[in-house]
Amino acid sequence: MATVTKQARKKIWALLALGTFTGLLLLPLFLSFPTGASGETAPAASPAKPVEKSRDVWYKNEGPVMGAPAPKTTDGPKDYPRYNFESRVLLWVGLQQHLYYGSFVLAVPIFCMIVEYLGVITKDKALSRKYDQLAYDFVKISLTAYSLTALLGGIVIFTFLTLYPTFFTYLSSIFRPVMATYALLFIAESGTLYIYYYGWDKMREGFLKWVHVSMSVILNVIGTVLMMLANSWIAFMQSPAGVDAEGRYLGNIWHVIHTTLWNPINVHRLLGNMAFGGGVVAAYAAYRFLTAKTDEERAHYDWMGYVAMFIGVCFLIPLPFAGYWLMREVYAYRQQMGITLMGGLLAWLFIIQAVMIGALFLTANYYLWQGMERMRGAERYQKYIKYMVFVLITCFIVWLTPHTIVMTPAELKAMGGQQHPVLGNYGVMSAKNGAINTIITTTVLSFIMYQRANKIPTVRWAPLGNAFLVGLFAMAFINIIWLAIYGYYIPANVRVGLSVPQVASTLSCLFIGVILNSFMLRGAKDTGPIAWGQISVRSQYALIMLATAFTWMMGLMGYIRSSVRLFWHVNEIMRDNSPWAFTHTIGFGANMISFNVLFFWVTILFVFWLGSLGIKKAPVTVPAGQKVPLPASSH
Amino acid sequence: MFTARVLGTITAVLIFAIAAVLLFMLPDSGASQLMRRAFSLGWPGGLVIIALLLYFQFGRKDDPNRGELVFKSLVGLLGYSMFFIAVANYAMNFNDESAGAPGEPRFLPVSLVMFTVACFMMAMYFTGVRVLLQIGGFMFFVAACLAGFGNWLPQVKADPPPLEAEGGKNVKEMSAADRAEFGEKLIFGAIGASGTQGAIGKGQCPLCHGFQKGFLSERAPNLFGIPTRALERLKDPKYSQADPNKRDTVQKEACPGCGTAQTAVEYIAESHACPNCYVVAGFGVKGTNDKESPMPAIHKPPIGLTIDELIAVDTWLFAREGGEPPPPDEIEKAYFKFIPEKDRAKPAGAPGAPGAPVAGAPVVTGDEPVNEIFTKALCFACHTIPGIPGAVGAVGPKLVEKTNAPIRLKDPNYKGNATTVREYIMESIITPSKYVVPPFPDNIMPKDFGKKLNAAAINKIINYLSQLEEGKPPPKIE
Repeated sequence: MATVTKQARKKIWALLALGTFTGLLLLPLFLSFPTGASGETAPAASPAKPVEKSRDVWYKNEGPVMGAPAPKTTDGPKDYPRYNFESRVLLWVGLQQHLYYGSFVLAVPIFCMIVEYLGVITKDKALSRKYDQLAYDFVKISLTAYSLTALLGGIVIFTFLTLYPTFFTYLSSIFRPVMATYALLFIAESGTLYIYYYGWDKMREGFLKWVHVSMSVILNVIGTVLMMLANSWIAFMQSPAGVDAEGRYLGNIWHVIHTTLWNPINVHRLLGNMAFGGGVVAAYAAYRFLTAKTDEERAHYDWMGYVAMFIGVCFLIPLPFAGYWLMREVYAYRQQMGITLMGGLLAWLFIIQAVMIGALFLTANYYLWQGMERMRGAERYQKYIKYMVFVLITCFIVWLTPHTIVMTPAELKAMGGQQHPVLGNYGVMSAKNGAINTIITTTVLSFIMYQRANKIPTVRWAPLGNAFLVGLFAMAFINIIWLAIYGYYIPANVRVGLSVPQVASTLSCLFIGVILNSFMLRGAKDTGPIAWGQISVRSQYALIMLATAFTWMMGLMGYIRSSVRLFWHVNEIMRDNSPWAFTHTIGFGANMISFNVLFFWVTILFVFWLGSLGIKKAPVTVPAGQKVPLPASSH
Repeated sequence: MFTARVLGTITAVLIFAIAAVLLFMLPDSGASQLMRRAFSLGWPGGLVIIALLLYFQFGRKDDPNRGELVFKSLVGLLGYSMFFIAVANYAMNFNDESAGAPGEPRFLPVSLVMFTVACFMMAMYFTGVRVLLQIGGFMFFVAACLAGFGNWLPQVKADPPPLEAEGGKNVKEMSAADRAEFGEKLIFGAIGASGTQGAIGKGQCPLCHGFQKGFLSERAPNLFGIPTRALERLKDPKYSQADPNKRDTVQKEACPGCGTAQTAVEYIAESHACPNCYVVAGFGVKGTNDKESPMPAIHKPPIGLTIDELIAVDTWLFAREGGEPPPPDEIEKAYFKFIPEKDRAKPAGAPGAPGAPVAGAPVVTGDEPVNEIFTKALCFACHTIPGIPGAVGAVGPKLVEKTNAPIRLKDPNYKGNATTVREYIMESIITPSKYVVPPFPDNIMPKDFGKKLNAAAINKIINYLSQLEEGKPPPKIE
């Protein structure tokens, strides 16, 4: 009892320390916002000169004019100085690399936090050390990447200043307090990260370990705020607020930050970063697995790859829903912008995205099925895989079938209309919603099969639980498919609402199914241990495929989001009058994305290599075949 | 050992020098250009590999692994060459955004496939880094598939609306038919395009509105029959013609005191100027109960049609139904009623218009055929350009650039940055003083073509000039 009390007291102290530290760190942020969301605080104006007021383009309220209008640029060395190359492409490469590294260094500390926490609460000391070692490995990789992120950030700023000086000056005149806060938080993030990393050994035991875990929380809070501040700039460029129609700042920094697309972008990016981070770490583990010299090493990196893939896919599953929210907000903000994205100029890019999402889920399923081969007892589920492949491929085809698309007159004539003569209306969103929900639900089913592959439930209510699970999935599939068909017979505006019960079915399977299954497997009979390290080589290439596809998709979505502004630096406020205000072809975009992806992977391999040069900690390994707990507490 | 190294290095340099001379003596073709570019990019590394190869062959005669080392050097040289040919291919095709027309393929993903093959080939022999090469090859393969897919899809390149908008036209001086055609172009992007699905002009109307009879228009009302339906709308109690303040919409009037529309012409003008003033049932922003419209005010950004353009659009709406369109003065009066002077979009080029160029305004939009671009930009006055009528000038050099540009790039006096024919032409247009063809004097050619010609126009000029070859017939003008 005394031990429990002591433990509880430690936790309270740790939480208090955490709260105080977070509060202190966030203090500058709040202090830098002199005005509230109401925007009613006016600057102290001299009585002789009346304050000019103007109307906010988004919030529609009036505010005091506190800035200059957005500059009207002309093509020339003053506004658009250049090298003998397309300035936009240079900036594109710099920004994309910065974003890749930024995402990675924001995602990895979240992994660290989860894994280190698992290590602290695990009672088995050997396993606890193993988790601790894994978390340490993660942060070690991210440390070098962190320096590169800062370096790339500097390159991006210099590129902006040298190639788009007028635009950057305007943007920084509006975001001055945000940029200052950003810089301060960056210092705080660096300090915390270094203490966190170098203090690892000193804070290994007892109360100090809890403080150490708390520091990972602080690290992630700062990191997330940093990301949100950076997002505010791009959200402002896409859906400006806090300025009038001429682009004059109206004195309310919160309005400028909190534009209508800010929060959807925040959520989407946070989830995307995690999925991406999972992919990168999984690829690292796959590389180490494939080059491993001993069974112990292979077992360790097989396990690491599984954990990273698991975390990545966990965040991949809600991504389509976050994307749906973002798109809905885009349509609500400007319908033309939404149509340009989904049914206009950029629509084909969404077809590429659809192909990639389908491929990602197929690959994740493939990895799980491969993983089942290293479990004795999994044979009983193998026979279902072929049916699942059929379902996934069918849904994949439906998912990527376009409904209407921009075509040339010759193509239109050849097809006899804007819709395919055979497929006709079958590519509408109703079918796509059904398809993607079926894909996700099938992936959940694959995971449940994986969870119980080498186990036989022994709880008394197992037959009832199994029946419930079968019923749950059957009802979900029926509901999803029935609503997809029903959607054809109702108007589009009503059809949109059907996605809610479809998503509810999917999420029910995800949460209720996985949790119920985990309870059923408590005290289950083992048909054999997981033979870690004995997974096929193909499965590791599936992990690499996941990583490459995540990276490519991230580049693609960033390109789509950015290019939807078309010829505006700041949508409807500041026009881009450079020679590069046109929108490139899809092919050019695809080539640039490929270049960025491959450039990132070449440099990250360098980072991995640097990471391996550090002081080698004696790896804590578990012999191949030993029981290892999994993040879903499934085994 | 030392002698063997030195000998090896000297021989490698000699081999490379001979290869380079032979390479640059090859007749000018796409393949030889590619090889030259690859050579110029990767020769130092190639030199090292050949030196190593010779060293293994002649300097380690007693080494039992000599054969293997020589063989690996050869494989390495092959992989290295493929790598740089791929890089050269990428660099040379970087700006090729053609729509897959015959003779203009999009080759970039081919580079990625070459990387893939090089990686897997080398992985077979370099066992120490096999996994790394295989992973690299696999990643290149995935990227090649995705880039290939992106290049295989239909290609659309969208230019921004030209700064020199047609809003400057005086629609009142046009005939009704011309005015209607101008309106059709603003709505659909081209005259006669109203029957083409997916055709969109500056006004962006077809993004949401249907225009054909019976066409299901889900995002915004179908505008077929609007001149007659407008009068019905005015009688709708929700429109509240007598008192705009009784409207339940988020905006009661287009401007304070603007009042309501009394005629069909005014109704259409008000709909353009103040979409929120009256929302057709079922077409409001979701969740607002039809109190707010998703449509932007058409005279404001991002669309920003001028009054003259709006007159043309409305004329087409009336004319396409077979009726007599209202006179432009009447439509103008309607717009003046709902759009205060300060809010009226000004024709680009007019003082104060958004993005109005102050000087050196673009002379072409880039949509014209290339001969028209040459004529409008006055190139013909100074240059002889085969295939362009009247272009027989002798103030500047004859522009047969497929023949001339490679010669000038090799000229020791050439100090520019271009490495290909296309880059050379681009550089000559934008910064003509970088290289002045002797014996012509400098500072004759204007230096502001970079401002006067947009990217599309320059691209068309480059496409045309790069095909002109001395002694051969000029290409057909599109």
